[in-house]
Amino acid sequence: MRPTRRIAPTAVIWLLIAFGYFFIPLIATFLFSLKSNQTGHCCTAANYSWVVHSSAFWHTLKISFLLALETIAISLALFVPTIYWVHLRVPKLRPVIAFLALIPFVIPPIVMVVGLLKFFKGTPSWFYAQPWGFLAGAYVILAFPYMFFSLDAGFRSIDVHTLTEASQSLGARWGTTLVKVILPNIRSAALAGSFLTLAIVMGEFTIANLSAFNTFPIFIQYVNESQGFPAASLTLLSFGITWAAMLSLLVVGRKRGQRAAVVAGAR
Amino acid sequence: MTLPFFAYTLLFMFLPAGSVLIGAFEGTTHGYTMSNVTTLFHHPYIDAFKTSIEISGTTALIGGAVGLAVAYAAIREGTPRWVRSALTTFSGVAANFGGIPLAFAFISTLGPLGIITVFGRNHGWDPTEHGFNLFSKTGVELAYMYFQLPLMILVIAPAIDGLRKEWREASSNLGASQLQFWRYVGVPVLMPSLLGAIILLFGNAFAAYATAYSLTAGTVNIVPILIGAYYSGNVLNNPHLAQAMAFGMFAVLAVMMVLYIPLQRRAARWAK
Amino acid sequence: MEDHEEQEVEFWRKLREEGMSRTQMLKRSVAAAAGLTVLSGSGAAWARGAAVAPPLKGKGFSMKELIAESKKEGHLNTIALPPDWANYGEIMSTFQKKYGIGITNDNPDGSSAQENQAIVSLKGDSRAPDVVDVGPAFAVSGTAQGLYGKYFVSEFSTIPRSMKDTRGYWWGDYWGAISIGYNQNLISNPPKTFADLLKPEYKGKVAMNGSPLTSNSAVSGVIAAALANGGSTSNVGPGIDFFAKMKSSGNYIPVGTTSATVASGQTPISIDWDYNNLAYIAEFPAARWAVNIPADGVYGGYYAQAINATAPHPWSSRLWEEFLYSDQGQLLFLKGFAHPARFNDLAKRNVIPKALLTALPAASIYAKVKFASLGQQTAAKALIATQWPSKVGS
Repeated sequence: MRPTRRIAPTAVIWLLIAFGYFFIPLIATFLFSLKSNQTGHCCTAANYSWVVHSSAFWHTLKISFLLALETIAISLALFVPTIYWVHLRVPKLRPVIAFLALIPFVIPPIVMVVGLLKFFKGTPSWFYAQPWGFLAGAYVILAFPYMFFSLDAGFRSIDVHTLTEASQSLGARWGTTLVKVILPNIRSAALAGSFLTLAIVMGEFTIANLSAFNTFPIFIQYVNESQGFPAASLTLLSFGITWAAMLSLLVVGRKRGQRAAVVAGAR
Repeated sequence: MTLPFFAYTLLFMFLPAGSVLIGAFEGTTHGYTMSNVTTLFHHPYIDAFKTSIEISGTTALIGGAVGLAVAYAAIREGTPRWVRSALTTFSGVAANFGGIPLAFAFISTLGPLGIITVFGRNHGWDPTEHGFNLFSKTGVELAYMYFQLPLMILVIAPAIDGLRKEWREASSNLGASQLQFWRYVGVPVLMPSLLGAIILLFGNAFAAYATAYSLTAGTVNIVPILIGAYYSGNVLNNPHLAQAMAFGMFAVLAVMMVLYIPLQRRAARWAK
Repeated sequence: MEDHEEQEVEFWRKLREEGMSRTQMLKRSVAAAAGLTVLSGSGAAWARGAAVAPPLKGKGFSMKELIAESKKEGHLNTIALPPDWANYGEIMSTFQKKYGIGITNDNPDGSSAQENQAIVSLKGDSRAPDVVDVGPAFAVSGTAQGLYGKYFVSEFSTIPRSMKDTRGYWWGDYWGAISIGYNQNLISNPPKTFADLLKPEYKGKVAMNGSPLTSNSAVSGVIAAALANGGSTSNVGPGIDFFAKMKSSGNYIPVGTTSATVASGQTPISIDWDYNNLAYIAEFPAARWAVNIPADGVYGGYYAQAINATAPHPWSSRLWEEFLYSDQGQLLFLKGFAHPARFNDLAKRNVIPKALLTALPAASIYAKVKFASLGQQTAAKALIATQWPSKVGS
C-alpha cells in the first residue's frame, strides 16, 4: 500500500487555483471598503462602522436568518422522506421529481412572485402578510432543486435497501429508521443542501422585494444603490456572517452525527 | 410518505407557475393567441435564447469539470480535514454570491481600473490592449464561475465520499495510472451524480439575472434580462411576451431533462 | 402661529443659512428613511371606513381637517423613492416631522412598472402603496387600468398642461435634463458635449444609469444623443448609432452607474439626469464630481404623481400630494436639483431663493430643453428595443 499521508501535489495546485480565483475579487472589494468618502484613499473604518451602527442592518439580518432556519427545517421535513421513499420503493418516480426540481429555475422569480401573490391573495394575514408564512413557503420551492440534487447524490452513495432492512429486522419502525439510521448517513448531503438553502434565503432579493417584505438582501441592495464605499463593507460583512452561520451549522451537524451507527457503505 | 411533498409543490409551484405558462398564450386583449410564442423565434429574442444557452452550457461544463477537480483535491486522502470544511462552507456562501456585489467585485478586479488590470498595465502587459473585455459574454461567464464552481463542489462532494478509497488502492495495485483510474472507475461511478450536477449548474446559470445585469447593464442579451425588461422595467411593457419567454425557458429545460433521463439510466447501470 | 406654519418659517431660515452641510443632511435623511422603513408597522386605517370621504379637490378644502384625518390614519406607504433621487430623502423626513405621520418606503430602487404592479398585487393589503411616482408612459397605462384615484391638488392650475392629466388622475411633479457627470480626479479634460464623448481619451470611461431596455434615464440618454447627432425626438436612430460607435471604440462601458461605481471611480463619466449627477457632487467629495449639460442635446423628462385608487391611507395620500405641490415641497425638489413642475409659477412670484438657482447649471441651457410627447417616447422605446441588442449588445 502506498503511503498517502502527505497532500498530493495536484491537489495543491487545484486548491491554490480555487483560492486565488475566489479571494482576489474579495480582496479588491476589501481595499475599496477601506477608502474614505472624503479623500478617496486609505484607510478608514468609517464604512464598517456605518454598517454596524445601522439598526436596519441588525433588524433585517435577524429576519433573514430566522427565515433561513425555518426554510431549512421545512425543506428537510418535506424532501428527505420523499426522496428516501423514492429511492427505496419507487425508483421510477425519480426522474419525474428531478424534472419537477427544474421548474423553479424556469419560472424567473419576477414572474413567479406575481403568480404567488395573485394566488394567495385571499389568505389570512398571518400567512400572507408575514415573512414566516408567505415568504418561507416560496423559499422552500426555491431551495427545492438544490435540496433535491444534494440529497439525491447523498442517497445514491449509501445502500438504502440494506440499511433499511437491517434496521427493520432489528425491530425499528419507519420513523426510527428514518431518523436514527438514514439521516445520519446522509448527513453531509443534508448539510450541503442546508448550506445552499441558507445562502439562497440570505441572498434572495426579487420575491421579497416585490411582495414588500424587508429582508437582509433588500437592505444590501438598497445600500449598494445609494451608498458608495459602505456597500463594499456590507458585502464583506454579509459574506463573513453567512460563512459563520454555515460553520455553526456544520458544528451542530457534526455533534449530532457523532453518535451515528454506520452499517454499510461509507468509508 | 410522499403525499405532503406533492401537495406542497402543487400549492406553491404548480398553480402559480401554471398561471404564468397559460399567460404566455394570452393576448393583450381577451382571448388566446400563439403570437407571443411565435415572436420568440425572431431577433432579438432568439439571439437571447442562443446566448443564454451558450453561457449556461459553458459555465456548466467548465464549472463542472473544475468543481470536480477542486472538490476531489479537498476530499482525497492526504488533504487535511479542515480544508474540506473550509471549502464546503465557503462554497455555501459563494454559491449565492451574485448580483451587484459580485459585479462590483469583478469590476474592481478585472475592470478598466481593476487591481489586476492596473497591475498588468504597470508591469507591461495591459489586458485591455490584448482584447480582454470584462463587459462581454466572456466576462459574464467568468463572473458566473464564482457561483457555479461552489455549487458543483457542494453537490458532488457527497458523491465523491462514495468513491471508496479501496477502489483507488486496488486500481493502483493492479497497475493503473491516475488517468486510467478516472477513466474506467472514477468517472463512470460518479456519472449519474455528475450528470445531475451539470444539469443543476445549467439551470442555475440559465435562470441567473442580477449578475449579468449589474455587470453589463443588460447589453449581454440573455433571456431573464429580457423578461425583466418586458415585465417590470421602466421602459418596455408586455407581460404576456415575458410570460412567453418564461415558457420558452421551460421548453429548453424540458429538452435537457428529456436528454438527461436515458443518459442517466445508462450511467446508473454501473452502480449496484 | 400654528405648529406647521412655525415649521415653515424655520424651514426658510434654515434654507437661507445653509449651515448644515449637504452631506450631513443627506446622511440623516438616508438613516431616517432606512430606519423608518424598518421600524414602522402599518396602520389598519383602510378597514376603518372613514366617516367623511376624502375630497376630490384640494382647493377650498380645510387643510386643518385634512391634517386631522391624516393623523388619524397615522401612516403613509410610499414606493420606489430613492432617498438621494431629487432629494426625496429630505422630502420624506420633512413630511414626517411636520405632520407626525410615519412613512414606509418600499422597494427604493423599484421601477415604474413595479410600482403599478404593487398596486395590483397588494390590493386590499395594508402594505399596498398609497402614492406612486412613475414615468409618464406608466402614468397613462396605470390610468387606463384604473389603478389611480382622481384628485385635484390645490395648486393644480399652476402645473403646466403638458405635464398633467386634465381629469385629475396624475400630475407631473418635477423634470430634469440629461447631463454628463465626470470625476475630476480621473478626467482632466471635461466633456462638454456628446461629440466630446467620442474622443479616444475617454476610452473605457463612459457609462449610463442602466440599460435603455429597462432604465428610463438610459432611454433618455439615447434620445439626447439622437438630438445631438442630427436626429430628433421622433427619430432616435442616430442616438442608437452614436452608442454603437462608442461601444465599438471602447469608450462606452455597459456598466450601470451606481453610487458605488461613482464613489470608487469605476464609472468616471456618467450620462444621467441632472438631478442625479448634481447630487453626487456633495455626496461623494472624494470623487470631485462635476456636471455639464451637453449643449448639443438638451433633452428633458418628467415624472408623475398619482394616488392609488384603493390606497390603504387615502387621507395621508392627499396630504402628501398637497405637501409635494406646496411651495415648500416644490422647493425641496429644487434643492435636490430637479426642476419642480411649478417652477415657472414660483419664479414669477419670486419665491425661489437665489442659492438654489445658482446651484443649478445656467438657465440659458435649460431654455433649450426639448421634451418628447408620449407617442414619440413609445416609438423611441420600440425602436431601441429592436435595434439596441444587435447594434450595441454583444
